[in-house]
Amino acid sequence: MNNLTVPPLIAFLFFPGGLFLMFGGMAYEWIDRKLVARFQNRIGPRWFQPLADVVKLLSKEEIIPQGVDRILFYLLPVLALSAALASALYVPIAGFAPAYSFKGDLVVTLYMLSVLTLCLGLAGANTPNRFALIGATRTLTQLFSYEAPFLLALLGPAIVAGTWTIGEINFYTQLHPWQMILTQPLGFVVALVGLMGKLELPPFDAPEAETEIVAGALTEYSGRGLALFRIGKNVELLIGLTLVSAFYLGGVGNPLLFVVKTVGLLFVMAVLQSLFARLRIDQTVGLWWRIGALLALLNLLVVALFRALA
Amino acid sequence: MEETKKFIVPIGPQHPALKEPGHFEFSVEGEIVTGVSIRLGYVHRGIEKGAENRSWVQSLYLFERVCGICSHVHATAFALGVEKLCNVSAPPRAQAIRTLVGELERIHSHMLWLGVAAHEGGFDTLFMYSWRDRETVMDLLEMLCGNRVNYSINLLGGVKFDIDHAQRDAILRGVDFLEERSHHYLKICTTDRTFLGRTRGVGTMTREQADEFGMVGPTGRASGNKRDVRIDAPYASYAEFPVKLVTAEAGDLMARFDVRIRELFESFRLIRLILDNLPQSELTARVPRRVPAGEVVSRVEAPRGELFYYIKSNGSDQPERVKVRTPSLCNWGSVTQTAVGSKLADMPMILSGIDPCFSCNDRLVNIQRGDNSQVWTWEDLRRYGIEYYR
Amino acid sequence: MKKPNKRLRLGTMIGDVVRSIFRRPITQQYPFVRTEAPPRFRGKLVYDPEKCAGCMLCVKDCPSDAIELITIDKAAKKFVMRYHADRCTYCAQCVISCRFKCLSMSSEDWELASVHKEPFEVYYGREEDVAFLLEKRPAECPEE
Repeated sequence: MNNLTVPPLIAFLFFPGGLFLMFGGMAYEWIDRKLVARFQNRIGPRWFQPLADVVKLLSKEEIIPQGVDRILFYLLPVLALSAALASALYVPIAGFAPAYSFKGDLVVTLYMLSVLTLCLGLAGANTPNRFALIGATRTLTQLFSYEAPFLLALLGPAIVAGTWTIGEINFYTQLHPWQMILTQPLGFVVALVGLMGKLELPPFDAPEAETEIVAGALTEYSGRGLALFRIGKNVELLIGLTLVSAFYLGGVGNPLLFVVKTVGLLFVMAVLQSLFARLRIDQTVGLWWRIGALLALLNLLVVALFRALA
Repeated sequence: MEETKKFIVPIGPQHPALKEPGHFEFSVEGEIVTGVSIRLGYVHRGIEKGAENRSWVQSLYLFERVCGICSHVHATAFALGVEKLCNVSAPPRAQAIRTLVGELERIHSHMLWLGVAAHEGGFDTLFMYSWRDRETVMDLLEMLCGNRVNYSINLLGGVKFDIDHAQRDAILRGVDFLEERSHHYLKICTTDRTFLGRTRGVGTMTREQADEFGMVGPTGRASGNKRDVRIDAPYASYAEFPVKLVTAEAGDLMARFDVRIRELFESFRLIRLILDNLPQSELTARVPRRVPAGEVVSRVEAPRGELFYYIKSNGSDQPERVKVRTPSLCNWGSVTQTAVGSKLADMPMILSGIDPCFSCNDRLVNIQRGDNSQVWTWEDLRRYGIEYYR
Repeated sequence: MKKPNKRLRLGTMIGDVVRSIFRRPITQQYPFVRTEAPPRFRGKLVYDPEKCAGCMLCVKDCPSDAIELITIDKAAKKFVMRYHADRCTYCAQCVISCRFKCLSMSSEDWELASVHKEPFEVYYGREEDVAFLLEKRPAECPEE
């Protein structure tokens, strides 16, 4: 049950990092949009739509509004995307072994994933646009609400496997899939919903609610910056799905299993996206701290009990 | 931002939440709204003035275009007024067809609103489904009148088209389908936990406030205001086919959803009743080209509330003055009241909660001036215009 | 406001969502698949010169000045109609006003969009009359 390995440089530039992640992310974005459209009885975009969007955005003029810090304005999208891409190096993308790993790379990966949200918040706060400011406030508020339960939930598998390395947790779950699935259904739910919050998908899309604050923190971004943020989000979607299926769904041992499990998860996420009305930011915070954190703690308790008995 | 300066969030004239232009400024503290100012007038088209140098027949089509959604009631109000001036009344079958199309239009307008309001609340699935089902009634109207939006079924003195058996069956089928769907939507709007989180207790208007601000239509009825022109002063054939009043007490957004969807059931019932008892008669009565001098007030119940037409004729073939008061304008006052103290995130829903129609709004309202004079000279108007657009 | 008999639920649209997996999208693929318009559809105006008596009621009642009726020979009842499809509001008032039933609206011809102005000016009438009119057009209407 050993995962395949890829030479580090190739891993960084093409596969599973770099180009593969970008195109893979776009493919997953397309699947998500198509599924939501079908759930709403619409046709949905054609397969190349996310790519066409990115190409169009990259070819467009980038307008820098007055009153922003220009360096920050240019730097933030790059930072966001590179953090998302870098975090992929520690994650078993497409069922291959992580390109790099060290003790405790789980924590590093999770923080790398949060960098994108932080960049988003900074990008909003950097512009004098009022919608962007409100969007940034909401983005960061949401970050503080889902981050703790999400982390607590992902710690469950780490405790069961007895290691803080993503690759080793993945091995462990492949060896004992039922042990992982049975001990933490709660953690799975919190992690999945937390991922939706992280990606600002409905019903957690208050930070970018178009009917209230136009595009939230990204209101002033156009062209290249917007494209990079979008790619970053797609990459994060892919990595998040990989993490959740590696931890809770019996691991990702080979590319086929990877595709089946992540697309299955995406299907569930698309259903959830189309079922609910948007939560107000105060409702989101309430939900996470009242229910999300409680469930995550409960999950930890179950895991601790399991460890004590085993 | 400085401490002393208010943080103002502008919404509109171009904003994704608004499908038509209007400008709103919300001063906020955190997420709480502390003040609102509304500015309308971006789609002023001078329709009332335009009617003054068109013939009566041409004016009918002009008034049909005051509002895109409720075009039929505008034409009905104008036609009924002109008929009253000429002392003719349209034949019973024509009146029944007017009523029928009016109710179909109400269904289409309420379902449109349901979708828009759901979209403002971020519930896109409900939005997509309610608009999908709205296509049914749009297709029925297209089949009946030949157009999806401006039905143009009214003539001065009657209607243009009759309803035959095949059309009757198609309408009944469509209404059955819509009724089933509306039950489903009522269930969603009154029991869905996430959606109620956005509607229950939001934008609440008490009965007293509703009366004070002169709210009309379903918005007023959701606050327990028992007023409906179809019942209080039946026009067309509402006397023969009476409507039951639909009200709610709560006055919040959920009550407005409740009232509007339950009004749909009333419309379905009425459509079936009219189709079963369609009187036999001519379709048109003759209306002279020169309308006798006089003035008349014509009131109808548009999907958004009471629509008021004042028509004055000087005996020529052109109206001397037509004054339109649309329901959306009456309801704006309530927004300034309910918005203060609400959360910014609820603003789009509160705005759309009155089912605003911006094109309907844009007429000059002179509420009060120091000298109580209602006459504005050209110089006054010019100065006002310069001030307004500064 | 509180309706205690109604239980609050989550995900009330799950039925629609699940059903939608098994049904085709409802979206009309318009430019690729053209749906049939109903027979009463009010499309492009059609004029039958044989029946016209030249009473000008249609011109008078048109709310948007879309119709011009040009008299070639009043005694012989020779008329040419210049119809401006871009001004027309498709209200069918002219069809109702016409006492001789020489106007109708097409339910097939309704895709009238064009990037040029020419297709919006339509001439109806006997062929020789239209040809006659178009020949002397500059003299007939100097403003155009």
